[in-house]
Amino acid sequence: MSAVNHTKRHTTSEFDLPELSVQEKIIDSFKRNWQIYLMLAPMVVYFLVFAYRPMLGLVIAFKDFSLFKGIWGSPWVGLEHFHTLFEDPFFWRAVKNTVIISGFSLLFAFPAPIILALMFNEIRHQGFKRLAQTIAYLPHFISIVIVAGIVVNFFAPSGIVNIILTKLGMAEPTYFLTKPEWFRSIFIGSNIWKEAGFESIIYLAAITGVSPSLYESAKVDGATRFQMMYLITLPCILPTILIMLIIRIGNLLEVSFEYVILLYQPATYETADVITTWIYRQGLQNSNYDVATAAGVFNAVVAFALVITANQISKRLSKTSLW
Amino acid sequence: MTNVKLEKVVKRYGAVEVVHGVDLEVQAGEFVVLVGPSGCGKSTILRMIAGLEEISGGQVSIGDRVVNRVAPKDRDVAMVFQNYALYPHLSVEQNIGFGLKLRGFDKDARQELVHEASDILGLTDYLDRRPADLSGGQRQRVAMGRAIVRDPAVFLFDEPLSNLDAKLRNKMRAEIKRLHSRLGTTSIYVTHDQVEAMTLADRIAILRDGEVEQVGTPIEIFSNPANAFVAGFMGSPPMNILPAQVSGDKKAAQLVLDSETSIDLPGLADVAAQHVNVQMGLRPEIIQLVAPGDKEKPRAFVEVDLVEPLGMESLVHAKLCGHEIVIKAPGVVTLEAGSKVGVTFADEDCHLFDGDKGKRLELMVTS
Repeated sequence: MSAVNHTKRHTTSEFDLPELSVQEKIIDSFKRNWQIYLMLAPMVVYFLVFAYRPMLGLVIAFKDFSLFKGIWGSPWVGLEHFHTLFEDPFFWRAVKNTVIISGFSLLFAFPAPIILALMFNEIRHQGFKRLAQTIAYLPHFISIVIVAGIVVNFFAPSGIVNIILTKLGMAEPTYFLTKPEWFRSIFIGSNIWKEAGFESIIYLAAITGVSPSLYESAKVDGATRFQMMYLITLPCILPTILIMLIIRIGNLLEVSFEYVILLYQPATYETADVITTWIYRQGLQNSNYDVATAAGVFNAVVAFALVITANQISKRLSKTSLW
Repeated sequence: MTNVKLEKVVKRYGAVEVVHGVDLEVQAGEFVVLVGPSGCGKSTILRMIAGLEEISGGQVSIGDRVVNRVAPKDRDVAMVFQNYALYPHLSVEQNIGFGLKLRGFDKDARQELVHEASDILGLTDYLDRRPADLSGGQRQRVAMGRAIVRDPAVFLFDEPLSNLDAKLRNKMRAEIKRLHSRLGTTSIYVTHDQVEAMTLADRIAILRDGEVEQVGTPIEIFSNPANAFVAGFMGSPPMNILPAQVSGDKKAAQLVLDSETSIDLPGLADVAAQHVNVQMGLRPEIIQLVAPGDKEKPRAFVEVDLVEPLGMESLVHAKLCGHEIVIKAPGVVTLEAGSKVGVTFADEDCHLFDGDKGKRLELMVTS
């Protein structure tokens, strides 16, 4: 008898609300949250127009593209451009340079804002802390063209770096930007100077979220400030670090192309030419749009694979992930 | 075991003084509770003992050492925080052993001590878990484990139970009491909950606005509050405090509540010589309702406002001479709002305080 009653309780009754269709649910959601959808709309439009629609153009990587025939009028050539790409030693040189520059950036430029944030966090004098932070943030707001100009001037034979080195006993001034062996150091170093301060904001925000009682407890337990930094602060901001790392890995092949263009010259192509600058030369200077697009597709596929892998590893190791 | 001594301890934040020359001595092995309303400075005092706040004046001693300028780690104290302060990235075992690791204990010694502490606290099955996987009570026990594993000279508790629900709070309160009985370590415990203070303390220090109002055993404080503030703070519901005037001469002094209500009290004659304006204190538990047919003669009449039945007893909210009072009556009380009912109380249960500063007037109570 009770079983019958139990079943009855789950059958439709006059008191049950009618089941909404998907369409009705969507309309209902729009009605209730129209303000949120309104705010979302510009971003959706932006991505559709500037990110997703241009993706249709990727199809030219598989066509013998002619400006006169247009994207859809050009004949299909399958993977021919990819064969061309993979047989081009200069493309592989660009891949190698990209990986090396990105790898060193990951090694040096990625930890720099974390270290900076940890250092800022240790400054006790509020006035000095604000001043130091402002000074560190400022380079981010300087145009990349001006930064390149500064770097070119500093490292010129008559620049300040050579003046100092000459004073320190170096015999001849060096034109650093024409030496392939110096390009990566200058590129990564100046990038750290430009962006580390600004990127440290994210980590500082994460540090602010660490409960002060953790530090107080550690203080009572006998931790030094350095121990507190690496035993408490760092592990507590690890989820933020991992998210930033995943994002960074996703952009691993996106070496700041405009900055490379501004700094490199044929003499340093050997170490400075990266995938994006190679694509730029192929596509815009040599008008090989199809091959350049094939390189772009290659770049995107590798980046996609990298970000998926990094996300999975992070999820498995630390339960922190982008999705 | 170690004692803790505070002498004329002052704390200032800029120009604002928040603790005004506090004197307090906690005997070795004693459990002292600092209790008071929010902002009274109880946590600040605890933090000054821990060394997390510098003192602005006076002297703090732990054992025979003055620790005014001693770093927290060198004071041989362990502190349990309100929000547990557990390291989210470490397991229970690592959390408990954190202090030992910092102090250079090797892995084996650490494990032995951690297991010992976790046995005491019933945490053995949870050693591999992270704090996020524990309930509030378990987290609190881990926090206590971290404190006891170091075997410190003094335990400091900063409102450790205030984040727990009522049921768990009662359970953990009993656990803390058992733990203290077992370890016998000198403990200083901060709370704003007077029930916690009454049940846990060997002695209670009641604070208000950065000053100690009274120090004594729970019974002393409950029975002989030093002033109207202490009387009103301790007890649940708190003591009813009513303004009154002492009238008449030494021979026939009376306590006048209003033009229609006067109360005769023995010993009032001595008060009458020095005070006119006083405050009368009556605990809700000692006021008895007098039914119309009772032998007992009512000493005053109250107008019932509402009745809150609690099962075994009822709280009667009423007005006595225009002032709100609460009466805790046994059993179920059926009184209509607006009805008038007589009340009585024993002379010796009546407390009297100075009308201006609220200081206890001792002559009043004669048992």
